[in-house]
Amino acid sequence: MTLLSVDNITVQYGRVPAVRGVSLEVHEGEIVTLIGANGAGKSTTIRSISGLNTPTSGSITFQGEKISNLTPDKIATLGITQSPEGRRVFPYMSVHENLEMGAFQLKSSAELRRNMEIVHVHFPVLKERHKQLAGTLSGGQQQMLAIGRALMSNPKLLLLDEPTLGLSPLLSQQLAKIVRDLHETGLTILLVEQNARMALNLADRGYVLETGEIVLEGPASELRSNEEIQKMYLGG
Amino acid sequence: MDWPTFIQTIANSIVASSIYASIAVGLALCFGVMQMANFAHGEFFMLGAYVVFVLNAMLGLPYPFVVLLAALFVGFVGLVVEQTIFKRTRGNVLAGFMATAGLGMILQVIVGQLWGFALMKTIPTPYPETVSILGAQIGVQRLLIVPGAILSVGLLWYFLHHSRIGKGLRACAQDQEAAALQGISVVRMGALAMVLAGMLAGFAGALMAPVHAVTPYMGHAVVLTAFIVVVVGGMASVEGAIVASILFGFVHTFAATIFDSVVASMIGVVVMIVVLVAKPKGLMGRAKA
Ligand SMILES: Nc1ncnc2c1ncn2[C@@H]1O[C@H](COP(=O)(O)OP(=O)(O)OP(=O)(O)O)[C@@H](O)[C@H]1O
Ligand SMILES: [Mg+2]
Repeated sequence: MTLLSVDNITVQYGRVPAVRGVSLEVHEGEIVTLIGANGAGKSTTIRSISGLNTPTSGSITFQGEKISNLTPDKIATLGITQSPEGRRVFPYMSVHENLEMGAFQLKSSAELRRNMEIVHVHFPVLKERHKQLAGTLSGGQQQMLAIGRALMSNPKLLLLDEPTLGLSPLLSQQLAKIVRDLHETGLTILLVEQNARMALNLADRGYVLETGEIVLEGPASELRSNEEIQKMYLGG
Repeated sequence: MDWPTFIQTIANSIVASSIYASIAVGLALCFGVMQMANFAHGEFFMLGAYVVFVLNAMLGLPYPFVVLLAALFVGFVGLVVEQTIFKRTRGNVLAGFMATAGLGMILQVIVGQLWGFALMKTIPTPYPETVSILGAQIGVQRLLIVPGAILSVGLLWYFLHHSRIGKGLRACAQDQEAAALQGISVVRMGALAMVLAGMLAGFAGALMAPVHAVTPYMGHAVVLTAFIVVVVGGMASVEGAIVASILFGFVHTFAATIFDSVVASMIGVVVMIVVLVAKPKGLMGRAKA
């Protein structure tokens, strides 16, 4: 079943379009990846889904409801959360408070506690450091916190913008495993990555973005064996 | 400076610090949450004092009740300003500045038209007694300002750190987009920040009314100091605003006692420059605006 559908959106910064006529779909239970080089428009696309950017044309629907005219907070309460590029944790709040903010929309504190426990299972380090100010965490820990925070409301769709950026290969692998675990619990994920190898190994399907346009799409296994992609993104 | 004057000046410094704090934290909060500066904030303080003048001095309602009403009324004014001005100028600091600076003048004129421009309003001091502290005579009304301000700033601090909504306000002040991604409505939080800032400023004005010259322009000097305090404190930092308020309360009061208020203001600006040269982001400056 189609959970999210991005339909022919164009997004501009001023008069310059960063994304042109992009369409993509995410089905329930999938990991879909959006790969592309620096400046291809990956963040712009994913920010538009969360309502941080407004498309000048085209539309975005989630569970059949048009969301491209909603504010970001409203979109979050519908069940789309995001771990944004650059982590964007609240630096002067503790790890615990950051996670509480991820659950801001929840009405019941029992639900908050339950989700907090689930997040602590995926990211034990967040439990160990629950009192520490988020701004003083290492980059990898901040990334875990940003993802944990996005999980706190038990979303229907998780958007991840370059979760492995700046992480060591070992940490990146750890993170990939967590993403796979999350997927196994039934979570639907849209993963934006420059690290195409990791992304295509995790994903069911993928889209390739080049200078603001989708140039290729298909099952991840097909993309992995595509010659052009091998040359451009997989270093071989 | 003789001993009683010294004690008196210390007491005055503490009073000034607490007033600056209750005015500046509201400015800092609004600046953090909305990234907008409210230049009518001094007039919020003035309105608080006029609520006391009208309801207490003219109509005879009990002082503590009127102080509470002042806080509620000015909180409501804060909401109206957010709905009419900041909602439209969001993201445009200059437009917000012009509109609220204009609003400040309009409020001065309205109040002046209603109750007179020139004459200072006298408000009967509800607590005229003085107490002797270490050889200095200090008015009870002045002393009441201190716990009043500590209570109001303390309540705000508690709210910001221990309630879900309060933490949401802090989240907005630290990263608006990230806050919105958590389902926090940045627009609603801006309105709430304005209500809280209005309540604190109105409360401070009401506390000061019996010991301060009540005129339509009384907010002017106060807001200038409050802005300096907020800049020195680190713009969006409530804690920084509190620390800077104490610093300025003492520096300004001592300089005004030893020299005069013009020199005191000059010294205040010099202190600001020194702090900003040493710590360009302010005492509790934050990496990201
Ligand atoms: N705030 C902005 N203002 C103006 N131009 C922008 C802005 N953000 C991005 N752009 C431009 O839009 C284009 C797409 O940027 P975007 O951040 O979406 O790319 P990306 O694929 O996420 O890249 P990266 O891998 O570096 O994160 C780029 O040309 C970029 O320079
Ligand atoms: Mg990006």
